[in-house]
Amino acid sequence: MKKIKQFIFRLTHLNGLWLPIAVALLWETMSRQGDAYAYTFVSLSQIAHGFAELVSSGELLVNLAATLQTTVIGLLIGGIAGLLVGGLMAVSPTADKLIGPLYHTIRQVPLLGLIPLIALWFGNGLSSKILIVSLAAFYPIVLNTFEGMRGVEKKYIEVSSVLKLNRLQLFLKVLLPAAMPSILTGVSHALAFAWISTVGTELLFSTGPGLGGLMQIAQEASRMDIVIIGVASIGLTGLLMNAGLSRLSQYLLRWRSVR
Amino acid sequence: MINLRVQANRFRSRALYFISPLLLLLIWAWVCRAGIFPEQILVSPAGVLETGRELWASGELPAHLHDSLLRLGWGFAMGAFLGLLFGVLMGLFKAVDRFFAPSFNAIRQVPTIAFIPMLIMIFGVEETFKIVVVAKAAFFPVTLATYDAVKGIPRTYFEVSRVYQLPTWHLITRIVLPSTTPPVLTGFRLALGRSWMVLVAAELIAADSGIGQMMEMGRQMFRIDIVLVGVLVTGLIGFVLDRGLRSVEAHLGRWKYR
Repeated sequence: MKKIKQFIFRLTHLNGLWLPIAVALLWETMSRQGDAYAYTFVSLSQIAHGFAELVSSGELLVNLAATLQTTVIGLLIGGIAGLLVGGLMAVSPTADKLIGPLYHTIRQVPLLGLIPLIALWFGNGLSSKILIVSLAAFYPIVLNTFEGMRGVEKKYIEVSSVLKLNRLQLFLKVLLPAAMPSILTGVSHALAFAWISTVGTELLFSTGPGLGGLMQIAQEASRMDIVIIGVASIGLTGLLMNAGLSRLSQYLLRWRSVR
Repeated sequence: MINLRVQANRFRSRALYFISPLLLLLIWAWVCRAGIFPEQILVSPAGVLETGRELWASGELPAHLHDSLLRLGWGFAMGAFLGLLFGVLMGLFKAVDRFFAPSFNAIRQVPTIAFIPMLIMIFGVEETFKIVVVAKAAFFPVTLATYDAVKGIPRTYFEVSRVYQLPTWHLITRIVLPSTTPPVLTGFRLALGRSWMVLVAAELIAADSGIGQMMEMGRQMFRIDIVLVGVLVTGLIGFVLDRGLRSVEAHLGRWKYR
């Protein structure tokens, strides 16, 4: 009796697996319905075959590395610029009043909608991609830096004025650490946006290496297996980066006495 | 007297708000007047306005707008409806949650844009593909917000409804709906913004009409003025959609702060 109960318990825990298995089975049967179906529903063995091909030729790794590189460079440029601008807006009300409206106006344009403009100005190359990705990272970090620093408790600032800290010291020793939780939230948003827009720019520019470009070429060659592998690698890499970042922020925020 | 001063202050802070955008506009106009960049690189604000008026008068811009907004409307309506349904079901029933949550979370990790090549292969480049992309972009944020909102209804509310023996209909209209409305609306707003961006991207990649296609065509013909009109219009629409839903949120959520 107990064993049966355990078995049922285990089954309910596997509930989440039924759907993917069912979809995979349906997919596989669809792929065997004839050539018309095999065009979109490539068989699972073909996907595995495509994966082996991409890995052994090194194509997957090269493209993944290129996409990661664009994301990281964009994140660094946009992140540093965002930190500076957000910090400036938090420290100086004049800067806030001058930059704030401009920031909120420009932010209204969907980022990928800027691509035709940026392509005309800066061409199709890597610099255009990096510009878009930097902007994607810039927006959330400005907002979170600004809000984090604005939300710093008054008493900390009063203590710093008692201790006669100068502005730079105030910024580095009080505002930055106090705003760190908010900034790290901004970084995690920025990472997600940077990743999305990297893939988006690669799809739209379709020049140079990158997972987006790989998928674009595969789509034109009707290689569904490669497209699926591309989608899976994009999702998986995003997930891994996100997990890594949340580990990092846990480490950076270990001084907080929350929970 | 005091009132006057308050009004003057308010006016000044309102006026301050426009300084930097106006400054940017002035610099832009001046740079064009000075001829620092050739016409193909930068068109003056007046030129962009003129092109915008021409595009509007010729009926080209209204036609593109109509197509884009129709796609957005259909796709968003479908995605949001399915998201609401799915979110409520997953929030209320543990079995549904256990069954779907892992797949849902796995697919959620993949940005919608990455699905575009796959969806083109399945649905072709016609209308279906664009509506599906928009629906996909709307579905996930709405589902998530609804799920969280339903999960967030305090257990005591259900207990009270049982004590008063409320009929299920009243449980839904008087308790579930009002208490989930604010977070769900926030989810709607997020979803609408994302849908709009994804639609513009999809139109840039593959379309024969729409704002995105207009910009892509402008790029291919090196008509920077058309591209700039497109950028301004997409920005304006994004802004209006966001503000519109924000005011709906404020209106429907006003009981919260009473």
